[in-house]
Amino acid sequence: MTRPIELRIPNERPFHGVARLVVGGLAARHNLSYEMLEDLQLALATVLEGNGYAIGQEVLVELEIAEDAIAMSIGPLDGDAVQADLERREGNALGLGRLLGTLVEDAGVEAREGGDWLRLTKSVRGVKPTRSNA
Amino acid sequence: MPEAKTDKELLRRYHEHGDTEARERLIEQYLPLVRSLARRYSYRGEQLEDLVQVGCIGLIKAIDRFDIDRGVELTTYATPNIIGEIKRHFRDKGWSIRVPRGLQELNVRLSHLLEGLTVQLERSPTIPELAKAAGVDEEDVLEALESGQAYATLSLSAPSGGDEDSDLDPLESLGTIEHEYEVSEDRAMLAPGLAALDERERRILHLRFFEGLTQSQIAQQVGISQMHVSRLIRRSLEKMRDEIVTDEEPRRASESRR
Repeated sequence: MTRPIELRIPNERPFHGVARLVVGGLAARHNLSYEMLEDLQLALATVLEGNGYAIGQEVLVELEIAEDAIAMSIGPLDGDAVQADLERREGNALGLGRLLGTLVEDAGVEAREGGDWLRLTKSVRGVKPTRSNA
Repeated sequence: MPEAKTDKELLRRYHEHGDTEARERLIEQYLPLVRSLARRYSYRGEQLEDLVQVGCIGLIKAIDRFDIDRGVELTTYATPNIIGEIKRHFRDKGWSIRVPRGLQELNVRLSHLLEGLTVQLERSPTIPELAKAAGVDEEDVLEALESGQAYATLSLSAPSGGDEDSDLDPLESLGTIEHEYEVSEDRAMLAPGLAALDERERRILHLRFFEGLTQSQIAQQVGISQMHVSRLIRRSLEKMRDEIVTDEEPRRASESRR
């Protein structure tokens, strides 16, 4: 994994686009496909805009890039709510677990100082980075 | 703010005796609330008065649907309805924020290039590939893609034509209800919001999140562009979230009173 790239934004909808752009910039430098980028951005929006998971006035997005995966951590969040919703994937309900289960390979809650974070991992196997400045 | 007792009396007169004058009075009394909520959204390039009109539709719906026995104030019930109506207005109108014409055009061009490159490369193209094909910088591509998120969908009353013309008329889909999703009371479950979606939107979400199809596969099946699939997925999820918030606000307020 590369050194994490951190973005701190106000926990308000107009700023979510900024986070999407940053993810897009990194995706471009890592030669991700349009569809992979879409998945990452939609996963990010699902967490940022979903059901008040982000509990602070600010929200941090942390991105780490490896040869075969991109990890995106978002926090601080209401970890209990996120965990409960992640685990609920039964039936035909379209909840957080099913959405993230489609968009990324792995999603898990991590306890950190100052609150819980959600770490999402997206596999980018088979993608050849054009530049290594990410 | 109007007095609750007066509200209750007026609501009772309207709902139980069909007194439309009482309804008019309620609308007048709550106009300042509509105006105050509309003002929050007026920076997005819409005239305040237009948004007030849209907000009034939400207010009228709230008054008409209000359940007197539910134990909540009309303000509590009307606020999410008014906000929901204003949000729907932006979503249905098209470009919800001012996007420079150049970016709009690039977005349309990228949509065509995305289709062509996906076929040509037999995979989803990368941002650098899109940039090269469009003859612009990668940052321009990203900005144009992001600006595309401001474009929600064609207005319900918009005539057919253009790139997205192959889309079904949204009006054709209204009123069609599928029962393939279970309704859950869990706050994170989006299923309750499915009622807010038309048939095509539900189908697209099903193909993406239950069948596991990619956007390009869905685009082929549904017969619209991949970029439009992307917009519809985002918009559908937003609509469902808004619907859940609208439904839940009065319930939460009611619960907190107990």
